[in-house]
Amino acid sequence: MSATRLQELQICFGFGKQTDIATANLVAAMWRLNKLNAQLVNPKLNTENDAAEYGKGHEFATQQFLTSWDTAGTLEKYLAAEIGAWAMCFGLGKVVKSGTTPNFTYTCTPLMPSAGDATELPYFSFVEQIRPGANKVLDRMMVGCAVEGWTITLGSGPGRANSKIQIDLVGSGKYTEPSGITMPASTTEKLLPSASMTLSVNGVDYVSNKNIVSLETSWKNNIRLDQGFFPGSDFQTSGDGTTGAIRGRLEFGNRVGTLKFVARYDKNSTELTKLKAQTTGTAVIGLSYDANNSLQLTWQKMAFATVELGETDQFVTASVEATPIYDATNGLLTAVAKCGVDAICA
Amino acid sequence: MDKVWLKGPWGQGEPIEVDATPDVLTKLMVLGYSQCEAPPKPQEATKHVSD
Repeated sequence: MSATRLQELQICFGFGKQTDIATANLVAAMWRLNKLNAQLVNPKLNTENDAAEYGKGHEFATQQFLTSWDTAGTLEKYLAAEIGAWAMCFGLGKVVKSGTTPNFTYTCTPLMPSAGDATELPYFSFVEQIRPGANKVLDRMMVGCAVEGWTITLGSGPGRANSKIQIDLVGSGKYTEPSGITMPASTTEKLLPSASMTLSVNGVDYVSNKNIVSLETSWKNNIRLDQGFFPGSDFQTSGDGTTGAIRGRLEFGNRVGTLKFVARYDKNSTELTKLKAQTTGTAVIGLSYDANNSLQLTWQKMAFATVELGETDQFVTASVEATPIYDATNGLLTAVAKCGVDAICA
Repeated sequence: MDKVWLKGPWGQGEPIEVDATPDVLTKLMVLGYSQCEAPPKPQEATKHVSD
């Protein structure tokens, strides 16, 4: 009896952006990366039936209809320069690329529709394959995906698991099967370990004082999924109304950024004082592999929202949640991602 | 110093060339500037000499 183990799963997705939501990436703009989680990015078919309709003589369904398609999934990875750059470009949406090989720099900020920016994030295609070809188990490409959000977690300890990124993605629902994609060679990634971290929050260097224990920072786009279905948004098979509707746009909603960290607390600690005074300042998080591969996140202005004292490994610690505040000059968040891969989000 | 070209908010105005530093780019990106191709260089006028 044959069986399929999930370790055979291979994924690749667009490092370049699609030209529009319905036009898939070409393989030349896709890269293959490993991931940590087993979850698949399943296209989900939503159906309705006529059980509630009058005129049938009973309350039972006599027909079922394909109504719409969803796509959603999560990508969990050890944080590396390449995926960090990709998550910032596709997750925040506004990108300026500079530099040359091997040091491309992607400066990313959130899109600002009030300043003329788009309300749609860049789109990419996501491919999953298990034994593609004659012995295919799985070979499909989800088209028109966007980054719903990312979460970076940094912890204390020696292993790679202390620096991770989780990326949530959603899609238009459109997919092609078989994908028609020949899986590219694996991309070599430059890990950004937590031991490389620099951290300055509200005027305190938490690395030089050796007090930082862990940190989590995230971005969520709250994409308006239902608004993706509008009159004319099309169907899984274009023009065929029996195949289920797909989304024609994925617009971000009310976006939310977060910053939390745990630090050792002693007589010189200022977190509670700054909470009570509502002192504002920047938060700058840096991670690096080398001079050409790094990620720096700058929350341009923030104030502490909560500070709770507790215990970590028998030390007194402060668990801090900060509220990012929009700065009139510098905005909310700037991500500067350096890596050797050209044309991310291009 | 790397330089990049940016077009103004709403795609209006002449492209400007700026230093590609986070401080410079952040302020302009927040204002609505976005990256664009370098504009074509103006062609030099050709001088015709009559016989």
